[in-house]
This record gives sequence, C-alpha cells and structure tokens, in this order.
Amino acid sequence: MRTITLQYFAVLREQAGCSEERVTTTAATPAELYDEASRKHGFTLPMSMLRVAVNEEFCDWSTPLAPNDRVVFIPPVAGG
Amino acid sequence: MRPFSFTSTPIDTAAGRESLADRACGGYATFEGWVRDHNEGRAVRRLEYEAYAALAEREGERIVAEAIARYGVQHAACSHRIGDLALGEMAVWVGVSSKHRSEAFAACRYIIDEIKSRVPIWKKEHYVDGDSGWVNCERCAQPGEHEHTRQQHAHDYSRQIALPEVGLAGQQRLRDGAVLVIGAGGLGVPVLQYLAAAGVGRIGIADGDIVEASNLHRQPLYGVGDIGTSKAVVAAARLRDLNPQGTVAVHAERATAANLGDWLARYDLIVDCSDNLATKFVVNDAAVSLGKPAVFASVYQYEGQLQVYLPREDWPCLRCLWPEAPRDGLVGNCAQAGVLGPVPATLGAMQAMQVLKILLGLPVEPAPALHVFDLLGMHWRSLKAARNPGCDHSPRDLQRPAVDAEAMELEFATLAAARASGLTLVDIREAWERASDDPAAQIEWHLPLSVFMQGTVALPRDGRYLVVCAHGVRSLALTEHLRSLGYPTVYSLTGGLAAF
Repeated sequence: MRTITLQYFAVLREQAGCSEERVTTTAATPAELYDEASRKHGFTLPMSMLRVAVNEEFCDWSTPLAPNDRVVFIPPVAGG
Repeated sequence: MRPFSFTSTPIDTAAGRESLADRACGGYATFEGWVRDHNEGRAVRRLEYEAYAALAEREGERIVAEAIARYGVQHAACSHRIGDLALGEMAVWVGVSSKHRSEAFAACRYIIDEIKSRVPIWKKEHYVDGDSGWVNCERCAQPGEHEHTRQQHAHDYSRQIALPEVGLAGQQRLRDGAVLVIGAGGLGVPVLQYLAAAGVGRIGIADGDIVEASNLHRQPLYGVGDIGTSKAVVAAARLRDLNPQGTVAVHAERATAANLGDWLARYDLIVDCSDNLATKFVVNDAAVSLGKPAVFASVYQYEGQLQVYLPREDWPCLRCLWPEAPRDGLVGNCAQAGVLGPVPATLGAMQAMQVLKILLGLPVEPAPALHVFDLLGMHWRSLKAARNPGCDHSPRDLQRPAVDAEAMELEFATLAAARASGLTLVDIREAWERASDDPAAQIEWHLPLSVFMQGTVALPRDGRYLVVCAHGVRSLALTEHLRSLGYPTVYSLTGGLAAF
C-alpha cells in the first residue's frame, strides 16, 4: 500500500467532483491507478485518450509508482 | 555608430550616413546644426559645448529610440560635438533612414527638438566684444511642438524598449516579425491585441467564423454592432486602428491541411488559438513540416493548457504528447462546457508573451513542458514533456480513414420528420442535459455518450441509427467512431436538437 496524491483536470475533474485527492492504494503503476479511479468515479475517458504525469513529468502508464508520488491525469482540451 | 554619441572631433557625416544605409529604405533625412556668428543681437566669435556625458548619452539614446518607435522609421542616429567650435563648424548631426520621406523628416525634426530641450548640454558663447556667457540649450526649443497627426501619435514603445531584454534592437526584431494567428476567439483576441500593440510588423488572422452574440462576453475586441460580420475582417480593422504601423492580413476561412502550409510559409511562427483538436493537429503538422515555432493553448471551463513547439531535434511536438490525435466531441462535452472570459484571456496573454519571447530571441522556457492552469483553484503545473521516440515528427492524416462527414450527417426539419424516417433515434446526451418536458423525451433510446465510451454498449450492427445530441458535435464524433467499428448505417443529426 502506498499513499499517492492524485490530481484531475477538465472532464475528469468534473466526473471526480474534486481536483485533488490523496489515495492509499495497492496500484503499482499509473495504469492500475487509473483503473481504480475510473471504477470509483465513473470516468468515461479511455486511458488511450489521456496522458499521465508523475511528479510533474510525463511518463509511461507502466512506470512504477513510489509512495507519495504526485500523479496527474490529463485529457486533451480544445476550447478556444 | 551608436544611436547617440558625443565627439570632440569634427562629426563624420559620411560614416553616419553609412551606418543608416539600408536597402529597405527609400529616404534619408538629415539635420546639421552649425555655429553661427550671432545670437540675440550679439556677434559671436566661437562656441564651447559642455555636457553631463553619462546622463546626456542615456537621454539622447532614449530620444532616438522614441523617434524610431513613434514614427516607425528604420534607423536613426545623432552625434553632438563637445568642446571648442569655430564659426561654421557642425555642432550636431541627426540622420534618419526610412521607407518613406515624410516619417524621415518628422523623426529627424523630433530628435533635434527633443535633444535641444531634454539633453543636459550647455553652450558658452564667446562674443566678439570679448564677453562670454553660458546658454542652456533648453531655451532653444519648446517641447511638444511636433505635428500632431494620427501617424505620429500612433505608438510609443519606450516603456518596452526600456527593458534590457528588448531595447532598440528588440523593437526592431518585433517590427521585422511576422506572426500567423489561427482563430480570433477567446484566445486569439488577446494574442492579436498584444502582438499588434507591441509593434509586431506583420500579423495574419485566420478565422472562418462570424461574430456571434455569445462570443462577446469573452472576446471584447468585438461589439454588438459586429454580430454577423467576419471575425477576421473585424479584428483586422481593429488592429489597424490599434497600431497603423503594422500590416494585417486576413484569411477569412478555416485553416485546413490544404491551405495552411501556403499561409504559414509567409510567417515566422504560428499561434494556435483554435477551438478544436482537428485544427490544432493541422497547425502542429504545418509548423513541424515548415520548421516554424508554434504556440498552442486550449481552455476548458476554468482550466487551460499551454505548450510551445520549437523546431529543434529534441523538442516534442503536439503529436509527441498526444500520439492518438483524439477526435473532437469525444473529449469534453461540446457547447455546454461554458467558460468565463478571463480564462481564455489569461491563456491568450501567455501565448502573446511566448510569441514575443520567440521574436526577441529570448529563452522561451527552461525545458519543453505542457503548462496546465487551474484558474478556479489557482494552480499552475508545468509538466515536463520530452520528445516521444515513437513520433517521427511527420504529418499524419487526421481523419482516419478518410471519411466524408457529409455522408454521415442527416438533416431533418423537425424531430417528427426524423422519427418518421425509419431510423432508430439514439439520444446520447447525459442524463443531466435532458429536461423533464424535453420534446426529445419521445426518443426511444437514451444512451449517454459516457456509457458508449466505457465500451459496454452493444448495438445490433445491422440496425439503422440516427445519433442525436445537443449541437451535433458529439453525435458526429460517435457516428465516425461507430462507422470505424463496422456500423455501416449510423448517421448523426446535423446541428443536434438545437436545430429544431
């Protein structure tokens, strides 16, 4: 179990109902973490449409997570 | 030659002229001040000039910079003698070169008048009768007597020239700059205004839309009287008024892969202020293939994203970040998202800042990043992005496979007509979008897009469907998506329920 800070943007923030939360999880990668958060919040966007950043750096969905990591899920936005 | 200098030896006007020579200039105006043999009724034998050099040089350079900015001339310089001068010797020289003569004359006049009234130079007149006296040149000119024409009042860039990172050379770089702005909406308006105001020499505006009443709250360049008129045309007129020294080109159509390459070839860089992902990828591809910088921004409600592409081997492009160019309509919820004006205005102002830095040759950012702003929570995150080894930076087709949107959209005069068409209507709006007295309540199938996106819906493939949403953006996206999954007879209701 590790504690991770999760941050949501755009439609994910709307669906999660918050912009940030701390979760204690067994998820080992951002991909597992997104699955978990999707089940919890009913996210509608597939992972393939998102990017993930860990500790302010874009990374792979399979990057190993460490305790106290800061994870951000980013959907593309298009408004102008 | 420095813009303003003192010399204790005779002024070399040939060198001065040489330093202002420029093939882009069609005119060169000079002024020479000579030592004359009388002043206020007294015969003068010789003159002595003294200056507080450190202060005087700074003020002199400021005046030359002001003249260049104020009159839009290409080059200007001034040289002033100090020490002893004999009758007939040249005491001061001003030279200006510019495209046309009128601003050369005006700038030349401005420089000499301002030098005489503002620069701390004193002259001691030695009279024929043996007497002498100090005369401060402040008496020589009345400030503010320059002609007050519109052209001359156009702009004064002194407050930005005063920045060490800008200066005269930087102002010249801005004047030589050419920037193409895609989209003249919430992001584009501040971008256009700040670039024109800063003195960017050539600006192109590409937008195929007309001004609508619902634009005004976040696009205050436009007024109620502009509703129904081309945004690009109205914006160009405003910019010409804002800064007549620059030129503004209008491309009153939507940027596409077919036209953008030709347009961008004539500019130094491109700013993406569009409101859809398809255009953003077209902009990215044009910038990458022509090797020009691009400054992207997007907003969603209270949030914004900002990314700069620089044509460098190690720099990520938009496709490095989003390898699967997402379809418009499948992300977010089209026209219902809502936005407050300062959100795109903030992001647009940041785009303008990045553009000015690029034109000035300043470092744009320490490392490539996607900057994500949340103006409701007041967070700003800079997420470091790297070149994606899987992205070859080459343009790719946006519409996979090339499908004809028109063949996927159907238009009906009324909902009843749509129902009578024999197609199964599928309302993909979310539950919260449907009012209880909604006329579309008669639609049999309600399958929110979010449910579709979870991939759990299995529609019979041989059915004939008409997908319906509020404005026809999401329904078209889903129709494309279903067609690509092998549903041959799925259609999207043109314009959505708002069309009825």
